[in-house]
Amino acid sequence: MKTKIYSVITLLFLSLSISAQVDRTKIPESGPAPKINIGTPEKFTLPNGLQVLVVENHKLPRVSVTLDIDNPPSAKGDKKGVEGFVGGMLGTGSTTISKEAYDKEVDYLGANIGFGSESAFASSLSKYFPRVLELMADAAFNPVFTQEEFDKQKKQSLDAIKNSENSVASIAGRVDRLLTYGKDHPYGEFTSEATLNNITLQDVKEYYNKVFKPNNAYLVVIGDVDFKTVKKQITNLFGGWEKGKMTTQPLPEVTNPETTEINFVNMPNAIQSEISVINAVDLKMGDKDYFAALLANQILGGGPTGMLAKNIREDKGYTYSTGSGISASRYASRFKASASVRNMVTDSAVVEFMKEINKIRYKKANQADLDIAKAKYVGRFVTNVERPSTIAGYALDILQNNLPEDYYENYLKNINAVTLDDVQNAAIKYFRGDKSRIVITGKAIDVLDNLEKTDYVIKYFDKEGNPTEKPPMTMPIPEGMTAATVVDKYIEAIGGKDKVMAVKSVMMVSNATIQGTPLVMTQKMAAPNKSSLVVTVMGNAMQRVIFDGTTGYQEVQGRKMDMQPAQIEEAKASAQPFTDMTYTSGTLDRIEPIDGVNFYVIKNGDTEVFYDVKTGLKSQEIKTVKTPNGDVQVPTTFSDYKEVNGILFPHAIGTKSGPMDLKFEVSEIKINEGVTDEDFK
Amino acid sequence: MKKSILSLASAMLFVLSANAQKVEFEEYDLSNGMHVILHQDDSAPVITVEVMYHVGAKDEEEGKTGMAHFYEHLLFTGTKNIPRDKWSEIQSSRGGSGNASTDWDRTNYYQTYPSNELKLALWMESERLLHPIIDQKAIDTQNEVVKEEKKLRMDNAPYGKVIYGDVYKHIFDDHNYGRPMIGYIKDLDAAKLEEFQDFYNKWYMPNNAVLVVAGDFNKKEAKTWINDYFAPIPKREAPERVKIVEKERTSEKRVNEYDANIQLPLIGMSFKTPSFKERDAKVLDVISTILSDGKSSRLYKKLVDDKKMALQAFSFSRPLEDYSVYLIGSILSQGTSADDLIKEVDEEILKLQTELISDEDLQKVRNKFENQFVAANSSIRGIATTLARNYLLAGDTDRINTELEVINSITKEEIREVAKKYLAKERRVIMDYLPESQKK
Repeated sequence: MKTKIYSVITLLFLSLSISAQVDRTKIPESGPAPKINIGTPEKFTLPNGLQVLVVENHKLPRVSVTLDIDNPPSAKGDKKGVEGFVGGMLGTGSTTISKEAYDKEVDYLGANIGFGSESAFASSLSKYFPRVLELMADAAFNPVFTQEEFDKQKKQSLDAIKNSENSVASIAGRVDRLLTYGKDHPYGEFTSEATLNNITLQDVKEYYNKVFKPNNAYLVVIGDVDFKTVKKQITNLFGGWEKGKMTTQPLPEVTNPETTEINFVNMPNAIQSEISVINAVDLKMGDKDYFAALLANQILGGGPTGMLAKNIREDKGYTYSTGSGISASRYASRFKASASVRNMVTDSAVVEFMKEINKIRYKKANQADLDIAKAKYVGRFVTNVERPSTIAGYALDILQNNLPEDYYENYLKNINAVTLDDVQNAAIKYFRGDKSRIVITGKAIDVLDNLEKTDYVIKYFDKEGNPTEKPPMTMPIPEGMTAATVVDKYIEAIGGKDKVMAVKSVMMVSNATIQGTPLVMTQKMAAPNKSSLVVTVMGNAMQRVIFDGTTGYQEVQGRKMDMQPAQIEEAKASAQPFTDMTYTSGTLDRIEPIDGVNFYVIKNGDTEVFYDVKTGLKSQEIKTVKTPNGDVQVPTTFSDYKEVNGILFPHAIGTKSGPMDLKFEVSEIKINEGVTDEDFK
Repeated sequence: MKKSILSLASAMLFVLSANAQKVEFEEYDLSNGMHVILHQDDSAPVITVEVMYHVGAKDEEEGKTGMAHFYEHLLFTGTKNIPRDKWSEIQSSRGGSGNASTDWDRTNYYQTYPSNELKLALWMESERLLHPIIDQKAIDTQNEVVKEEKKLRMDNAPYGKVIYGDVYKHIFDDHNYGRPMIGYIKDLDAAKLEEFQDFYNKWYMPNNAVLVVAGDFNKKEAKTWINDYFAPIPKREAPERVKIVEKERTSEKRVNEYDANIQLPLIGMSFKTPSFKERDAKVLDVISTILSDGKSSRLYKKLVDDKKMALQAFSFSRPLEDYSVYLIGSILSQGTSADDLIKEVDEEILKLQTELISDEDLQKVRNKFENQFVAANSSIRGIATTLARNYLLAGDTDRINTELEVINSITKEEIREVAKKYLAKERRVIMDYLPESQKK
């Protein structure tokens, strides 16, 4: 009986736990779709043209207000930056309140008030909002532009520009805008030391008087306010704002290159390259294919599920983040795909970028990817509703872009209606893989060699976006480094001065094959400058080069030639058994990177000697030899360093004999033995 | 103008009691020790699910640094039931978004969805905890990505080493807060698969985590699903925590750091300060508001506005579990010497240590904190993380509602005493954060 009860109980438990167990292997289904309510703001317009939108929302005891003066963009030319002063100097007190008192009160209220050249923003707890709105309006309409404040801000702006000079990302950003839109376009120009120095206080005042007008302005209030009360207050504070005469500047045409090209900006301190593939587009929110363009971009470069992230981040690990963006504008906008990648993979990343961009142009996307892209837009739309500012933003979009009143009510419907064909058509039209600028801001000496192997023409630009020459492919020599210190470092690396100085003679035997025939090279060196080199083939001496300290000769296949005076001079000056000692009298010419390794290069006469910056070891010597056919560079490479009597010697030596590469392997090294004066006769 | 400020101050006394909104929540433990916090808010059809684990960079072993942050990446690979590299796809296909973050003390993972996807979010987070994919392939890919993240945030970004705390080595000799949050790359390169797995086994368990669900959901339904997905995950032996005691500094230290991405030096004064749990840490937050929050704050007004010696002046504390780090920093204008600037900052610190702040300043601080509090709690995402952190690191979920009371109870005398105690010269490290070109 007892066992039975047990089993019943366990059964009961089992079934209980089974029924509680969910099936983890299945993705849970979605619940019923939630209802979305997009509120509509209340609106009114003041006689001066100011349009006001109010979104009442009492969830939190706070209010925000934004003034947006929606004038068409205008270029500032050689006074670029003047608008920054307007924004910076508004809110530095007013004709009715000193700067100090103003700052103090804003801080005291725990509020934020800020200005742009054609905008203003404030937020605070609702209990202080009436006063905060009053302060904002006062500062906006009764500004004081003092010389003192102007001078201070100019200095700060100059400092800030100086400070961003080494920031790879900020230089990349300003140059790629300039290249996309052109230097005379409002979206392409940027503030520089030169333009800042052109600006006077009078310019700032004039600019403010020209643009800070209600004609094209919108005021948006969001939060814990009562519409009637706030309408009354706004009418009082903004009713007296006088209309202006607005002028519109024609905008320069924005063009893409005829064929895709690389635009390179050299930043020697970069350890990552900023890569942007950019083309200008003409895309407006009301365009029929606007939604298709959004979704095509989402599929290509929208976050971690985009094609770019899957390939360049997840598959290749080239970058921390990559993506693309496309925006609509009434004036001009662009498509931009970008990433920061480590120097060494810059060229590979460019290839992958272009591969993905062309893929979405020439191959239809998957339905599954389109569905994900749509779901993302739906999700974003729903989650954005949490913010009252979304409602205001939507209403503003409709007004400013002349969109139908029900634009956002139909938004999800329009997103869902986009087909795979629509996506491809939008990709072909807006992602110009064939007419792009690939703007790369990075370290030339690390990345250019490989970029030159790609199919694209490379044009060079400086940090201001001006065309320039290809940068020198070397690095600056650190202060204090000279030929002597490089050689010291080498001596240290192979065993130290004491050990090296104790070597009076070296004998070295090495072997190679030339067209299947074995060669034996025997080198003997003795202090201070005696040397002998004998190459034998099958026991026969093919070549001998002998120098006894005062004179010498060369013998090739039995023909003996005495050394010329110049050769004697060179041989005399050549320290043995370690010729490197001679190079201390050369000059340290540059640091050159080769395949990612940096080398000190010493120029000594017609020879360049390369020492690894990191290890100190010598990697090659390149001798320039004059021939009737012009200069020929003859390299000798040294590698496979191994210890002999406590000193590192290269055990692999490469050189050239005419067009042929010769690789010698060292088979024997003797120190202070096996060499006599006889060897140099 | 003075008049209106005074009248406002007296008005404030009245408003103080009618405080900002209270954040309601319910909390309980599952049978396996996992803590659950629910916060309902039906103002928009959105939910957030967050799981925070009590493990961060400080818990890493010597020679095996970088694991905590590495896991933040690794745990997006997939799980037994979520195929490799499909995590983001599943999330996106249901209209969700999410991310994760690590600091020295904790790691959190969060997702936000339309409200009809709560079950999905709970499933995914429970999968991540129960049986994530941790294999060599995932490690190799994320290793590259983590290296790029380091370059992007620390090596290639102006002032990156200050922003990401890579300079804390100068402040902590013994405590692990002195190590870079992201770890040493050489450790990550050397780490073996088993070591990654050991780290997971040691720290990732229901009884070392808190789950927060916030937003528009049905409570009964949510509780059932939470129980279904999380309760079966086995409890494990809780990890042992060693608190490393960092000795008090007794003499001022001055160090140099270099950054190739900048042109203007930054001068920083850093202090080791108490854990964010301590009342004194709040007092220090008040002090940083007085020093540098807003244009009328003392350092901004003096250094940036009046004397134009600095382009920027800031002070803030990095609130951490064992200790915090308090930093007063300025980016020097061209032509300003570091020593001149330090002298000016010293004057302001001395003033705080010897004089009581005014009633007006005290009220200003309170207004600012109230405003910040409301702003911080304007999204359910923000609330979820605050609730998780308060429970996990401070053991008091309700701190979110008492924080303002604490601020409002801080007295002028307390501010003076705390300034004296913690901002003493001998306790500080002065850092000259210089352009690389000035390196000798």
